[in-house]
Amino acid sequence: MSSGVIGRVVAVTGTGTFLGGELLRRLEEDPRYSRILALDIRPPALLPRSDAQQPAPGGKIEFIRVDLTQPTVDGELATLLSRHKVDTFVHGAFLSHPTHAAEWAHELEDVGTMHVLNACAGIEPRRFVMISTTLVYGAHPKNPNFLVEDAELRGHRDSRFVNDKVRAERQVQRFAKEHPNVEVCILRFAPILGPTVSNMYTRFFSRPVAPVMMGHDPLMQFVHEQDAAYALQKAVESRATGAFNIVGKGVLPYTTVLALLGRVPVPMPQLVARQVSKLLWATQLVGSPPSFLDFLLYLCVADGAKARRELGFAPRLSIKRTILDFLGVAPEDGATDVARAQA
Amino acid sequence: MTDDPDSPNGDDDDWYGEADPRVPDAAPWPDRDLGFLDDDVYLGDDTPMPTEHGSYDASDDRGAELRELERRVEQHRTPVFPIDLRKRLPLEAVWRRWREIAMWGRSDVVDDFGRDPRATARWEWLFEFLYSKWFRVEATGLQHIPSKGRALLVANHAGSLPYDSAMVMHAVRRDHPARRDVRPLVEDTVFHLPFLGPIMNRIGGVRADPENAERLLKKDELVAVFPEGEKGMGKLWKDRYRLQRFGRGGFVKLALRTGSPIIPVAVVGAEEAAPMLGKVTWFAKNIGIPWIPVTPTFPWLGPAGLLPLPSKWYVEFGTPIDLGNAHGPAAAEDRLLVNRLADQIRTQIQSMIEGLLSKRRSPVLPAFLG
Repeated sequence: MSSGVIGRVVAVTGTGTFLGGELLRRLEEDPRYSRILALDIRPPALLPRSDAQQPAPGGKIEFIRVDLTQPTVDGELATLLSRHKVDTFVHGAFLSHPTHAAEWAHELEDVGTMHVLNACAGIEPRRFVMISTTLVYGAHPKNPNFLVEDAELRGHRDSRFVNDKVRAERQVQRFAKEHPNVEVCILRFAPILGPTVSNMYTRFFSRPVAPVMMGHDPLMQFVHEQDAAYALQKAVESRATGAFNIVGKGVLPYTTVLALLGRVPVPMPQLVARQVSKLLWATQLVGSPPSFLDFLLYLCVADGAKARRELGFAPRLSIKRTILDFLGVAPEDGATDVARAQA
Repeated sequence: MTDDPDSPNGDDDDWYGEADPRVPDAAPWPDRDLGFLDDDVYLGDDTPMPTEHGSYDASDDRGAELRELERRVEQHRTPVFPIDLRKRLPLEAVWRRWREIAMWGRSDVVDDFGRDPRATARWEWLFEFLYSKWFRVEATGLQHIPSKGRALLVANHAGSLPYDSAMVMHAVRRDHPARRDVRPLVEDTVFHLPFLGPIMNRIGGVRADPENAERLLKKDELVAVFPEGEKGMGKLWKDRYRLQRFGRGGFVKLALRTGSPIIPVAVVGAEEAAPMLGKVTWFAKNIGIPWIPVTPTFPWLGPAGLLPLPSKWYVEFGTPIDLGNAHGPAAAEDRLLVNRLADQIRTQIQSMIEGLLSKRRSPVLPAFLG
């Protein structure tokens, strides 16, 4: 076993999310971690692996009920962290779906991050990993084809879903400056697709019809759920600091994504689309707010070269395989591969 | 704490924990061997998934294991309409057909900047028609374009729609021995035009942005820039073939930083293809364009007026200028030098244009008869 990482203690917030749960399972199997604190409002749903030789899970994992929306949670967290001598903190308590309960979301994401950082400021764990998304760059007509990590976090004019994450990330960046002893690592995940994950994008693409902004067709980028989980595991293991884009291989135009998924595109002029979207969002018929339409208009594609270089993470699946896997179709069933047909 | 309260999965505690059993993640990932990027890794071994449950012997342990795997995969898949039901639905054939129709004329693999090989092939005939029949383009100096490696084509710009970038692109693809693809940089105003923008992107156009250009050149592509930009397109008839200011010299910085040779390109004929007599800015901003052009045919003939007039075109590729050798990448920070070099190249293109203009035979209708 390599030195220096024997018996690490990891605290994870947001173990109810897809990434949090995957990380718990991966750390549980890794002998280098001696103790894992699962901090959430609900116990993690760790199920036993299929092979019975493994010890019963949950041996290393301790669930502690922590509600980041409580006003005095930072004190609780601080005592917890010092009692268990936590050396790595993974902050993943962020929403994967936009919600109408905007105040609650703000308390959880923005203020919750403040509480977490308050607690970490005193304890100074060796490593702090934050889960973010590439949506924080915002879809903007001036975006280059590949956004690098230094790019400005534009967020979105009126999307609280995105802006809360931008504010949380700014706090973490400030924290990194003020506490140079802590290795702060921010992972910005491209939209995650896969057969088990559930988020705004999987729900959007599960519908039989999808809006298209008439005459616009931006390039899109996804990351497969297993690639994403592996990147998070890598980030906990490694000593790299700074922000990293975690993205899949390749890009595809939005309408091609819809065609691969077999969804019916509904082209709408912008003005109409915005009004329809407002109506559907207000009546809670769809899970994507009107501000999401900007991501169907302009580019928001990030460059994963830094993660490859410094984190040692390279995605294994191309965007087409990711889409087909989300769809549950075997690659040969995709039957649209031009190259293969011509060969 | 991270569940959306109205998530349908929110009350299902068992939802998240179970891993996707198809993924053999017990196998170690390659730690540093990043050349290992096989798409099909997730399919694991060569064992085919059973198509029928009955195809396995019940006493066979491996069969039972696979069935169990399959059951769990089915159970934990995101419910996606109509795929999960497609085995039971008569609509499956319809859905399949729909996917085929939807994928018509597009490829499921595009390059990093969105160039779709299939879409490019689809529009080829149009460019060929414009190039050889409509504009009767005469391209000279193609031997100056390297067969491989990076280079920056710098050209003059005219016309309300970027026919000139399309013709430069097509000239290299058609007549250059290496049939290289030119990646023209497209101004924001054109790139974000509805319908036209995405088409230009699919056939190889890239939004004019220093980061994009640098990335392309580092990948050893041929990049075409039109440093006059919007000002070049907005030239009036009386200013034809008078080069506008070459931006802020960004293309020189780019060439210095990436060590790419600059190939000056003069295009003659584009001004007459869409002579702009005047421009109207009123109402233009409301529909997202900087001005509404007034040409002899537009807007009088409606959308048909946007078609270019059949002027005779000449395209000349000049000798490459290797700035990298002469100055080195650090010179990109020297503003005075950058501006001087930009102006030098502008003068050179201007004189190439004068040369081509004097080649035209007829004094009466020089533009159209050539």
